[in-house]
Amino acid sequence: MKWGKVFSARWQALRNRDQVIEDIDEEFRVHVELATQANVERGMAEADAKKAALRSFGNVGGVRDEAYEFRGGGMIESLWQDLRYAMRGLAKQRAFTIVAVITLALGIGSNTAIFSVVNELLLRPMPYLDAERLVMLWEVTPEGRHQNTTSRINFSGWREQTTSFESMAAFTDQRLNLTGVGEAEEITVQFGTPSLFHVLGVQPIVGRDMRDEDGLKDAPPIAILSHSFWQRRFGGDPNLIGKPILLNGVPFTVVGVMPAGFQWHVKQRSGTGRPAELWSALDMPITSEGAGRGRFLSVVARLKPGVTSQQAEADLKTVENRLGLDSPKFNKGYSAEVIPLRNQMVGNVRLALWIILGAVGFVLLIACANVANLMLSRSAAREKEIAVRAALGAGRWRIVRQLLTESFLLATIGGLLGLVLAAWGIKALVAISPRDLLNLQHVGLNLTVLGWTLGISFVTAIIFGLAPALEATRLNLNGALKEGKGAEGQSPRSGRLRKALVITEVALALILLASAGLLLKSFSQLQKINSGFNPDNVLTLVLRLPETKYKEDRDYVSFFNRATGQIRTLPGVTSVGMVNFLPLYGGLGSGTGFTIEGRPEPAPGEQPSTNVRVSDADYFTTMQIPLLRGRNFSALEMTEPRHVVLVNEAMARKHFPGEDAIGKRITVPMSDKPAATEIIGIVGDVRYDSLVDQAEPTVYFPEPELTYPFMTFVIRTRGDPLAIAPAVQREVHAIDNEQPVSDMRSMNQVMGETVARARFNTLLLALFGGLATLLAAVGIFGVMNYSLALRTREIGLRMALGAQNRQVLLLLLRQGLVLTSIGTVIGIAGALVLTRLLSSLLFGVNAADPTIFAGIVVLLMSVSLIACYLPARRATRIDPMIALRSE
Amino acid sequence: MAKHTADLLQGTLDMLILKALSLGPLHGYGIIQRIVQMSGEMLTVEQGSLYPALYRIEQKGWVSSKWDTHDTGRRAKFYALTRTGRRQLEVEEASWDRLVLAVTKMRQAT
Repeated sequence: MKWGKVFSARWQALRNRDQVIEDIDEEFRVHVELATQANVERGMAEADAKKAALRSFGNVGGVRDEAYEFRGGGMIESLWQDLRYAMRGLAKQRAFTIVAVITLALGIGSNTAIFSVVNELLLRPMPYLDAERLVMLWEVTPEGRHQNTTSRINFSGWREQTTSFESMAAFTDQRLNLTGVGEAEEITVQFGTPSLFHVLGVQPIVGRDMRDEDGLKDAPPIAILSHSFWQRRFGGDPNLIGKPILLNGVPFTVVGVMPAGFQWHVKQRSGTGRPAELWSALDMPITSEGAGRGRFLSVVARLKPGVTSQQAEADLKTVENRLGLDSPKFNKGYSAEVIPLRNQMVGNVRLALWIILGAVGFVLLIACANVANLMLSRSAAREKEIAVRAALGAGRWRIVRQLLTESFLLATIGGLLGLVLAAWGIKALVAISPRDLLNLQHVGLNLTVLGWTLGISFVTAIIFGLAPALEATRLNLNGALKEGKGAEGQSPRSGRLRKALVITEVALALILLASAGLLLKSFSQLQKINSGFNPDNVLTLVLRLPETKYKEDRDYVSFFNRATGQIRTLPGVTSVGMVNFLPLYGGLGSGTGFTIEGRPEPAPGEQPSTNVRVSDADYFTTMQIPLLRGRNFSALEMTEPRHVVLVNEAMARKHFPGEDAIGKRITVPMSDKPAATEIIGIVGDVRYDSLVDQAEPTVYFPEPELTYPFMTFVIRTRGDPLAIAPAVQREVHAIDNEQPVSDMRSMNQVMGETVARARFNTLLLALFGGLATLLAAVGIFGVMNYSLALRTREIGLRMALGAQNRQVLLLLLRQGLVLTSIGTVIGIAGALVLTRLLSSLLFGVNAADPTIFAGIVVLLMSVSLIACYLPARRATRIDPMIALRSE
Repeated sequence: MAKHTADLLQGTLDMLILKALSLGPLHGYGIIQRIVQMSGEMLTVEQGSLYPALYRIEQKGWVSSKWDTHDTGRRAKFYALTRTGRRQLEVEEASWDRLVLAVTKMRQAT
């Protein structure tokens, strides 16, 4: 049968209802007339003939109703009736409707907002061809450091000897100075093996891809631009192809532009911590022993169809092991790992997101419980109305359907309002999200998200609507219709349902609050960590000098020294220092193995290793890193190499236990001709990689000893450090007008980004925990209020018989507290199970932390006490005479 | 069980209506007269219950209806078999014949 046709016929019938009925009546009339006439022809008297005709026709009303089922609007019509009826009902009970809609909107809105993030980050396909087959390949260091970069030689070994991969590409990021077009600017350039875009399955939209010959040593440098960089700097000029642009003074020929929106940024071990604006070919000079051994390459590969990442990892490990046997000096003890791209991109945000989605799911359940409770109270008040309808012949299913229509209407309005809240909430989420949550700027209300909202709204409607509707129609007609029963006609079952709902709410709220509490404590532990320096009132910025302009080491040294000297004279600046890599800036630092003079050559793979930083003497004073023993760099040591270094406490403790490190000589091979250097002082530990990891051994070179082309300046100021930024920029430009100044941030901003993720998780869970508590409190309040209404007469009687206010209060409080206690116990059990999922997000807190749990229980009990107390206090003000006379 | 019987009767009524209309368009009262007449007055239909059945098969597209003037000069609603209705009649007659055959065979088997 053609449903569309039937539907449209029904719809027509619905719109011309009177005409349809008229038509049927007319047809029946004609029938009776014809039958009467036939009877007359058979010889009956006129009056008898009509009577007989009517008799043989049967029950006209019944037949007409039955006929109308087919001719009229049918289901649609009754649905329409239900809808209008529901709208009238909801409009009449405005308070109920508003509370229910807001509750639902909060639940649905928070779910929609979080789901949109989950959808974007965890569910949506990644923008690369067949991206589920893309994996990242990393080394694991002998010290067990995971996701470590590899070397050119090992990458070649992997590419040649593994069998699990279809293709493989290596890449590394650098910051280079763009000059020659407009203002000088430091941009992120990603050097990749020419296969990079082929592996990702994305091709330039303008120009050509990288070719194998671009990756040969001494090949002319090429550039492929990101679409946004092309637009921003060159206004999308198509004639740019074939023209050179200057990067660090070297001409790079532009050969292509990538599609809009294409991004390839792997945060882990990124040398710059930001997405590339331009790509170029990485040359692979594999010449002698030692060259090509530096570990700085990230590797992406495409699995052959049907190969799992586990199989690929076994394959890669075998090859890595072989590389270790071939050249133990460089590779002994190293292992390798394969990480699916999705996991790599989302990292441990994945777990946090699922947990937060679970949390908003709980909030929605609590919201449902609340609305179900409201519906129960309401349907109890409407018992008489429902009974009348049932008595007039409406079937139970018909009444349930009508009550459910009301639920769906509520859920739809709640869902619409929820969408508004979600749109607003997503904006807020993006604003507070850590910058390193990938691609959050694309999060929004798309079709998938709308589908999800629709889905949860309907599921919600069934959850909160069905039980009350079934409950409301399970009634005793006689009892309900009798006068004077008032609300006491409530069945014990509906009372039990109501209590179960409160218990559920309390339990769910407790689980959420416990999770939020644990994260809060973890967050405060994180804040309490001694990072080893004082980040307040410090401005940081990066100066990278172009290698074309500055040839000799002393050129760099003198520029940097001059710049610090100039900035120091600015009013409001108390001290200025510099270091090559800031602590906690979110990118790569440098490190290497080293030897200690006078000690035997260590076995391969057992060489001590250290982080390496280059700084000046004022770095330590500016950052307030204490000098523990010995002395700081002298002025002379800051102008020429004197073969001295400072080390941190961890270095002294680990490599010079029980002896004095000062005066010892170490060789840290950071240049072509490494010299032995003398340790002149020991400074305090600084956490460079992450706040949660202990500081590693670190050597500080003075800038002249190990010259870097870039330095991060740290400037301690008296007031707001960012206020002084323009003045600092002017000072730098006074020395060299073309010199870009980049990454101007306060040290707290730099650090904020590493704590940001923890803050984000904590903030969200605390928010939803709070929301859950509020909703649960409203639920308890509602139930108490309702049960008080049921017991008005009883209380009046008790008071008339001499019960004291206090006794009445206790009676009512006890009822609420019993429910809360049961919910609390169930909640604690649930929380102990569920918070274990949180363990990996927690720092310095046990997932079953007793003080947190105790605190949460006290909090929840107090809230429910207040929610019970308010209605109960009103009960004590009942005038017994009025109460007794009431229905 | 009861439902089964009802279905069977309903199905039968459908077939009777289709058969009655197979000779030409008729109004409701005419259909009843035709069924009585064609069955040699062995079958009678409760007149009122004709209409719900008629509307249902109209909805299925087996018959079409329009108001027209009766040969006595009175306006009445006339029903005519559609092409799908004619095919349906064949289907129903065939399955009815099979049923009759089957029942007959079973009765003879005893």
